Amino acid sequence: MVRFENVGMRYGPGPEILRDVTFTLDPGSFTFLTGPSGAGKSTLLKLTYLAEAPSRGLINLFGSNLSRVPRAQLPALRRRIGVVFQDFRLLDHLSAFDNVALPLRIAGREAANYRRDVEELLSWVGLGNRLSARPSTLSGGEQQRIAIARAVVARPDLLLADEPTGNVDPDMGQRLIRLFEELNKLGTTVLIATHDRSLIESARAREMRLVEGRVIELRSPIA
Amino acid sequence: MNPNARIMPRDKGAASLDVVIAVMAFLAALALGASLIAERAATTWRTGLAGRLTVQVLPPEKSRASPNREIDAALAVLRSTPGIAHATLISEQDTLTLIKPWLGSDALVADLPIPRLIDAEIAPGAPLDIASLRKRLKTAAPDSFLDDHTRWLSRLRSLAEGITWSAYGVLLLIALATAATVSFATRAGLEAHREIVELLHQIGAHSGFIARAFEWHYFVAALIAASIGTGLAGLLYMAGTGAELVGIEAVPFLPPIGLHLSEVAWLLAVPVAVSWIALLTARLSVLGALSRAY
Repeated sequence: MVRFENVGMRYGPGPEILRDVTFTLDPGSFTFLTGPSGAGKSTLLKLTYLAEAPSRGLINLFGSNLSRVPRAQLPALRRRIGVVFQDFRLLDHLSAFDNVALPLRIAGREAANYRRDVEELLSWVGLGNRLSARPSTLSGGEQQRIAIARAVVARPDLLLADEPTGNVDPDMGQRLIRLFEELNKLGTTVLIATHDRSLIESARAREMRLVEGRVIELRSPIA
Repeated sequence: MNPNARIMPRDKGAASLDVVIAVMAFLAALALGASLIAERAATTWRTGLAGRLTVQVLPPEKSRASPNREIDAALAVLRSTPGIAHATLISEQDTLTLIKPWLGSDALVADLPIPRLIDAEIAPGAPLDIASLRKRLKTAAPDSFLDDHTRWLSRLRSLAEGITWSAYGVLLLIALATAATVSFATRAGLEAHREIVELLHQIGAHSGFIARAFEWHYFVAALIAASIGTGLAGLLYMAGTGAELVGIEAVPFLPPIGLHLSEVAWLLAVPVAVSWIALLTARLSVLGALSRAY
């Protein structure tokens, strides 16, 4: 599903943020990405969701070597990835419903076909009664849940989340992790960057630790 | 919940952008209207005198013969000349009316030696030998002078063409300034929405989808603002037309500052052009920005 081989990343002439990063995410796997602040977790996620190109090394995504994928085909790859951004990146002028439905609109689906899916998903994340609310009127935790719903609504092949439970209480955090696990059971590969140890301990999943730009595998997935 | 909700929000500071576009459209519409008026005036001047002749018969003080006899002789020559559609003696009252704008109408004018004028119209397309006619008029009425307006027409044509081309030059400059302003404002608006472009790009939108969302947004905004600006210019010209209808002359001898209905239709080109400039700028800017993104 995802394979990094000796990937290095630096921004402009600055120091290397990632060094010789090599790892594989198997299809259907569930992995936590941990590490201290500034270790390069967000950069690794950006490389994976195709926001940046690596300075060196190879990235293989969905069986394609990204260095050989034509630019015109990158949007199709991006649509197979759901991303929960750390800063949510919700569109303030759209309602909660319209924010969640955005990936489906982009994919060209008709509103009549996805209305029920979006409403059910928003109910699952506890926002069934806030469909028309604008993000600016919602709390940080509620905005985060909209961001998560938007990331999973198109049932992506790969889900990437940057601190997805940072703004919600422990109970909602566990509920959201269950959502990710449900999605994972349906075949979605999940990679979650987090500092939340309780979250990591509660989920029986592989943990990949990033220290000073290098990947240290700490815990293998439990069968 | 609105599945067709606009992906683009209203811009921050959009009101000032709209005002700029409306003002530029207003100026462009004024310049276009001025060009149309200048063109119409030039045509009127050209066609008004073309095909006409004027015969002056000197007043009694300077005439060696009876003026009435000379007038009759001149009229007879003109009316018997093939190619002259008709020849009419302008009454003394009408002659005074003609010179009133230049000399006024006080008692002094009545004492001036005013020549009598004969207005003749050349039949359209008829060949007329002006030199031969002049010679025959001199023979029949020695104190008459034939003016075929060639000298005036030549100068008037040059003046009219100068005014028309100047108006088109001003129109071109304002059109360029409008295009540059709309383009600049559109790019500034896009910069304010860079995060939206990045998000749409990130969740898999094709460049064409993003460009369409932006270009439509700016097309509609520019169309509304430019329509308001053009509408105001149109009202101004309609006021000019109204003044013309009630007999108010803005500047003597110059054409009234009003547009005919068929000319007003040309003003519609301004909002159309402005909105398409905004659309194309938005499209090219978005596609340019996305081509630099990964």
